[in-house]
Amino acid sequence: MKHIIIAVALLITTSATAHELTPTYPKLSQSFVNGVVVTKMKLWNRRQDVSYYEIDVYDEEWNNLPFASSSRIMRVDYLASKTFEIYIKKKDVKKVEYICTTSKQLKEDVKSTGVKSRICSRVK
Amino acid sequence: MFKSIVVMSTMLAATAAYAVDSPITGNVSSKCSIYTDVSGVYGNPSPDELSTLPADGGVMPIIRYDVSIADYYTAKIEWPNSFTTSPSLSDSLTWTGEVEVSSTSDVGMAGYEAAKVEYDNVTEYDLTVAGSTWFKVTSNVTYGVDKSFPGGEYKANVVAECVAN
Repeated sequence: MKHIIIAVALLITTSATAHELTPTYPKLSQSFVNGVVVTKMKLWNRRQDVSYYEIDVYDEEWNNLPFASSSRIMRVDYLASKTFEIYIKKKDVKKVEYICTTSKQLKEDVKSTGVKSRICSRVK
Repeated sequence: MFKSIVVMSTMLAATAAYAVDSPITGNVSSKCSIYTDVSGVYGNPSPDELSTLPADGGVMPIIRYDVSIADYYTAKIEWPNSFTTSPSLSDSLTWTGEVEVSSTSDVGMAGYEAAKVEYDNVTEYDLTVAGSTWFKVTSNVTYGVDKSFPGGEYKANVVAECVAN
């Protein structure tokens, strides 16, 4: 019985897939451009069914704020991590509350019910 | 003379030798990971109904949240309220759903289910204990009034969010 439970647990864990975003509390610092601040984030993709992630920046009320990055939707292959920079205007610094990444699944990759994952770090 | 020089150089060479360590370093920082342990499947228990309940022939999606440090994140899970893929539908859809804790890695998480906050199709859990929590999602949709779903493929998304506090 014990062996069956272990085998089932192993089977379940091997099918696990994950999405991670660090740091939890990013710090904004002066960029090389005057009037623009920057922060560096890292995304790790362990979801085999997802290869694209969208970046968003929100204020406290979850309204979108303008930002610049190398790309708004980035490709991160399975088991790969990507470090990306987010540039925000200095005038928006006080409004910035959340920096989020959301999984974007291709239509053909979604099974009957897909899971859209979103992780948000908070700028304090 | 030559012998002394050889001995001295050997000693100097020996003192220059040192052991090389190959340290493995690690750092546990606060982070949240969202795992899709089981992808859900809709069963079709009656012509006008789709459901993820096992009793209806479905498979409930199971999502795991791992947090490395307590009290840093809130989990927000939304059961579906629209299809992302479906045939053309002419009548109204009635969506219902439920998110529940299905398993935990720590006894301290026992209070999660009682403390959850529900609004619209969203359920929020304050992740106050470090470790893993598994959530199961029930999704049910009925079509019109006893109207049969047209044949075709139906897909919907569960949204799993982890928001820093």
